[in-house]
Amino acid sequence: MAESPSFKTDILLKRLMTQYFEQGYAAREKGIPVAWVTAAFPVEIIYAAGLFPYYPENFGARVATKKAVARLSAAAEARGYFSGLCSYARCAIGDVYSNEHPIGGILKPDLLFCSNAQCCSLQKWFESASRYYQVPVFLLDTPLIENTPTTWIKQYLVEQLYELLDFLEVYTGNSFDFDRLAEVISLSNEACRLWNEILDMSALKPAPFGFFDACFRLTPIVAWRGTKEAIYYYRELKNELEERLEKKIYVVPDEQYKLYFDHIPVWPRLRWFSNLFAEKKALVVASQYTRSWVWRFDLDRPLESLVKNYTEGFINRGFEYRVQQIADMMEDFNVDGFVLFSNRSCKPSALGLYDEYRILSRRTGLPGVIFEADMSDERYFCEEDIKGRLDEFFNQLS
Amino acid sequence: MPARKTIKSICEEFSKIVADPVRQIKRLKPGRTVRIIGWLPTDVPEELIHAAGALPIGIVALNAPAVASSAPHLQGWSCSLIRCALGMALNGSLDLLNGLIIPLTCDTTRMVTGIWKHVKPFVFMDNYLLPRQIDRPSAKRYLIGEMGRLKARLEQFMDRTITASDLYASILLYNQNRSMMRKLFVMHNRRPDILGNRDVYNIIKASMLMPKELHTSMVAELLRLLEEKAGENKSDYTVRLILSGKVWEPPVMMDVLDQAGMVSVGDDFCTGYRYIANDVPETGEPLTSLAERQFKRLPIAAFAGKSGDRINSLINMVKENRADGILFVHLKFCENENFDYPMLRDGLSSAGVPNFRVETEVGTRVGELFPQIMSFAKALSKGEGL
Repeated sequence: MAESPSFKTDILLKRLMTQYFEQGYAAREKGIPVAWVTAAFPVEIIYAAGLFPYYPENFGARVATKKAVARLSAAAEARGYFSGLCSYARCAIGDVYSNEHPIGGILKPDLLFCSNAQCCSLQKWFESASRYYQVPVFLLDTPLIENTPTTWIKQYLVEQLYELLDFLEVYTGNSFDFDRLAEVISLSNEACRLWNEILDMSALKPAPFGFFDACFRLTPIVAWRGTKEAIYYYRELKNELEERLEKKIYVVPDEQYKLYFDHIPVWPRLRWFSNLFAEKKALVVASQYTRSWVWRFDLDRPLESLVKNYTEGFINRGFEYRVQQIADMMEDFNVDGFVLFSNRSCKPSALGLYDEYRILSRRTGLPGVIFEADMSDERYFCEEDIKGRLDEFFNQLS
Repeated sequence: MPARKTIKSICEEFSKIVADPVRQIKRLKPGRTVRIIGWLPTDVPEELIHAAGALPIGIVALNAPAVASSAPHLQGWSCSLIRCALGMALNGSLDLLNGLIIPLTCDTTRMVTGIWKHVKPFVFMDNYLLPRQIDRPSAKRYLIGEMGRLKARLEQFMDRTITASDLYASILLYNQNRSMMRKLFVMHNRRPDILGNRDVYNIIKASMLMPKELHTSMVAELLRLLEEKAGENKSDYTVRLILSGKVWEPPVMMDVLDQAGMVSVGDDFCTGYRYIANDVPETGEPLTSLAERQFKRLPIAAFAGKSGDRINSLINMVKENRADGILFVHLKFCENENFDYPMLRDGLSSAGVPNFRVETEVGTRVGELFPQIMSFAKALSKGEGL
């Protein structure tokens, strides 16, 4: 299989990544507090408060792409954390107890901000980190929204954001700057708009960009939304994709099938999956995962809008809403089949998949497949079994 | 003429209820119009269900083989407690329920509601969304609102208004039961030889499976008989333990403790002492009072906040009850407990509290537990930690 030429903008991404991590290490020297945040936390408030946000989930994913999870997890397991816990958490916990630091040590936090919209594991992980590092933790408690969000839930969430502002003012000693928040939110809006347009390009057939390409280039929208760097990078990436379209450079040049993939990828096997799918002339074009950061904030009602975007998304929704949203996305992207990943590390995305599979098959009439693995920990990756299941699925497609 | 009740006969009656909750539910149902609303652990305000005119039943007495029935719907690496509860619904054991309330306390309870609604729906199903931060003022206001929502749904389902006096009466009934049970627990602490671990924990569990009025009267009679006998012998239980975990599964673990001469003098189990530890204030607006109780309950892993500081809570329980150590009973695949465990273990060890952990599942066999618990008993008897 001939691989498409590598992206020119990957050099820019690498440079910006290095710059971001250097800023993190320099932050404390400059007296800027390092704040651990979760991926679905309203980071705009953290940027506006002048803190440096750091994403330990991203640390876990980077360890996984370096195929170093087993080593760090072993250090966590030796302390009594069992191997069934979220592998991102095991990486971060293992890193502090290990003598090895395969991607450099995790950045020590001064304070912690967690939303449990994604999962309860994050809440427990950040509580443990708070005890270990002896630093304060702020939990944005996010009740599950099954259907329509109730007035009580909305009020609870907005009230918590005011509590967050109080918490920050006490910590920093400064009044919260709403003008700065508006600037940050505008920057987030622009990054989210660009990211959305980039993801939409996968609907073209053949497409210049797919799910696995997006996973490789996810850090800016997760970690840097609210900054100029994210906008700069995604503008450049979008330009490059448009250039590729003109030059007819596609991810899978002889693309025949478009697929839906749910949810997080198997990070240490991104290339393996990408190549296998390309061999079968298939491109994954849609996923709730990469679309988790497609947000649009209302500058006139900043706090209410942050609440709406960060808590009413797919990940904090009930079963029926999720299934329908997946079915809708499959229709929008005109896919030919679907792949569901039962991820041991992520119960909110995995529990329910067996029934989702049956419902989606019935509603869409399309072939689908479920496979079992862990998003980071290759000890749970049985290549033979997964390859067998996928081969069977591709036979159904053709 | 009915046979005279004895301590043994009353304990056996409770034991039968816990051993076969379906039979118990069937006994309540025939020929009666009572509606039964089940709840999964933990922290569902049963007083609200009772005040609505329904009978609350905890899905706490589990039938281990039912775990297999949930396999087409739930991964084998999810908690066996929830897999078993869903399996029991799927195999028809819970068909007599009219409704089910599932509280969100972890990722498994978060996800199972949707699956359950799809594969085995009850007429009434509710996902009760407790606040999981408990320190800030917003949590209490939200909880009162969430209880108000649940109250409105129950009213709609039961087609009746829950008045303040209805709710107040239910609160009194439940407080009375808890108070009676605490007396029973004190008796167990004093005389485990006549009211063993299995007996007292069965009785706590049975209170989740039957009308409170009946349960309270049975406990009152048992207490009377126990008090008559309390002066006769001295207990030969040599080790005093605090137990910690989500639930005491499998039930046979209590038999092992009895055999090992270890008495549980306190716990933070959702199906144990924590269930009866504190009452609802009997003054003020009833929903506010229910919320106040919720925030004062013994800390568990599901809730975050300084006021939920579990290590201090456990150390205090050890001191107040003059316990020799702590036995953690953790369900396999329970993330909440496992995230807390390593630091609890280290903190307790630093405070000089011997502690030991067993990992169980619904259906774990006695042979797997016995040697572990006996080795801990032996170490504690010798005054050693582990």
